[in-house]
Amino acid sequence: MVFLFIALPLVVAGILPLVGKISKKVLPDLLVNSVFVILLALVFFEGRGLVAQDAAIKQLFWFGEPLNIRLMLDGFSLFMLFAVSLVGFAISLFSIDYMDHYGSKANFYALFLVMIAGMNGLLLVTDLFQIYIFLEVAAVASYALVAFGLGQDELEASFKYLMLSAVASAFLLAGIVIIFGVTGGLDFETVSQGLRALDARYLVGLCAAFFILGFGLKAALVPFHAWLPDAHPSAPAPISAALSGLLIKVSGVYALTRVFLNVFGLTPALSTVLMYLGVISMVVAALLALGQTDIKRMLAYSSISQVGYIVLGIGLGTPLGILGGLFHLFNHALAKSLLFLNSGSIQMSTGTRNLDEMGGLGKRMPVTAGTTLIGSLAIAGVPPLNGFWSKLIIIVALVQAKQWAFALIAVLVSVLTLWYYLVIQRKAFFGQLNERWSAVREAPFWMTVSTVLLALLCIATGIFFAGTVNSWIRPAADALVKGVQTTLGSLGF
Amino acid sequence: MIVEIALLCGLVLFSVAAIIFRDLLKAAICLAVASLLLGIIFFRMKAPYIGAFEISVVAGLITVLFITTIALTKTGGDVRESKAASWIFPLVFVVFLVLDFFVMRGLIGKIPALEATPEQGTFGEVLWKIRTFDLVGQIGVIFAGVLAVLALFRKRDKDE
Repeated sequence: MVFLFIALPLVVAGILPLVGKISKKVLPDLLVNSVFVILLALVFFEGRGLVAQDAAIKQLFWFGEPLNIRLMLDGFSLFMLFAVSLVGFAISLFSIDYMDHYGSKANFYALFLVMIAGMNGLLLVTDLFQIYIFLEVAAVASYALVAFGLGQDELEASFKYLMLSAVASAFLLAGIVIIFGVTGGLDFETVSQGLRALDARYLVGLCAAFFILGFGLKAALVPFHAWLPDAHPSAPAPISAALSGLLIKVSGVYALTRVFLNVFGLTPALSTVLMYLGVISMVVAALLALGQTDIKRMLAYSSISQVGYIVLGIGLGTPLGILGGLFHLFNHALAKSLLFLNSGSIQMSTGTRNLDEMGGLGKRMPVTAGTTLIGSLAIAGVPPLNGFWSKLIIIVALVQAKQWAFALIAVLVSVLTLWYYLVIQRKAFFGQLNERWSAVREAPFWMTVSTVLLALLCIATGIFFAGTVNSWIRPAADALVKGVQTTLGSLGF
Repeated sequence: MIVEIALLCGLVLFSVAAIIFRDLLKAAICLAVASLLLGIIFFRMKAPYIGAFEISVVAGLITVLFITTIALTKTGGDVRESKAASWIFPLVFVVFLVLDFFVMRGLIGKIPALEATPEQGTFGEVLWKIRTFDLVGQIGVIFAGVLAVLALFRKRDKDE
């Protein structure tokens, strides 16, 4: 059944263009949303049971014949699958109303599902080359999705994204090839054992550098971030939400973490490099975000800054640091998707993304204003919202590890974050209503439902943070701390 | 050995030429020659399947696609490239060569050579039985490509 995480979105993506010929709107909407409901059900009913049984690696069977498809499901992959399915569901709800004016909705959904299948595949693979393949599945779909509006900006941003992403893929492939050359295997376990038996520090260092460059580009860490502030704002709002909320985390942070913590092993040198990259991203992107007037561009820079927090926590490598990093990943996925979706609502109602042209929109769009406030405060780390707890855990972990300077910077960047989010609030929603927007109305029903759902999740995760941490985040962090489990199960397909 | 070095030098030269030429047709042909040389290198390194793919798909099919696309494109001088492009690439290339020389000099001799093992099974066995999961990913990439073409070359509805 685990294979359904990949097969279901792919199969539905295959039939969607045909379904689109019969029904332009209702059937595709229904199909896509049901896919996400099924994926969420799979996470809850199938995935949690499997992880509880400790059956980490699954061999698939086809009519009794063993297939050479092995999937790995541990606490970390299950947690990421949960995040992807949950945020994916909110995005597909939002798209019901939002994507109407773009046309060709069935094709949009099909591409979106291929991207989800790619991400899910990446979360379940057991070898390095498969990481590369599923990374490409998600990436190829995302290039098309960024350009979906077909305007000059969209096409240019998509091209820039494609080019830099190709560079990332080339470095990853080079790293994988060298590792295959020296260890003779691609499987996480074989590579991990092979690298330990090998006395080639420089070579392993070179591969690690290639992987940091490749995954760093995918995760948009500073200084590899040039593509993100163009690509994310240019995409349609649901895709901006999916890219910032999910894709950079799955193809960047997840893959980086999996490779470095479970395959290479986190050495002190690697840990230092990751922490510095994280801190540089946090500070530089937060400063760049301050100067933006385009709301989506500001959110995009904020994504880079928050990914910095995640990498800082995970790079620290202590159990508490990893826990905080993963918790922040989840919280940022919820809050940033919410904010990007809301920026879409604003753009749809007013036709602009320029913060200087807005003003007083809170009176005309109270729900959007309220949910944006919740998302902003959550990311900035204001208690009792979810972002507060994850940032607190990261900072406590840094203090425990006696990394005072990093802890201080983390606190200061949090203040900066609050500052630029308050700028969004003040310029967009507060103050005198600009006369141009006197006819503006609240976002349509499904868009509001989706954003309210995400806002409620931000609040609930904050209030019940102990429950969330114990049931989802701790098993994920444990899986990383323990390394890859290799219990072989033989579950039927 | 001399033949291999000559082939590798040719590969690098034609690849560089493909980037430097401003004329797209010449660039496409240089790329085709580079892939052809790479295909021959694969054959000489006893990897006939990948050699055949490289020559038939990259040197053959993709070149035909490139040349067809170039032929269909209208010529017009409206796209002006920045002058920086003409010197940045050679500069980066030379820097890369220098770095590559030092890195490789440090690595050669330290890389443990794997024993040459006979290939595991036939090409079909490797593809279908050993790397089955890769095929699922390949299906995903092809899907994504087809859907991207459908989405990006769509006709706008009249009401938009």
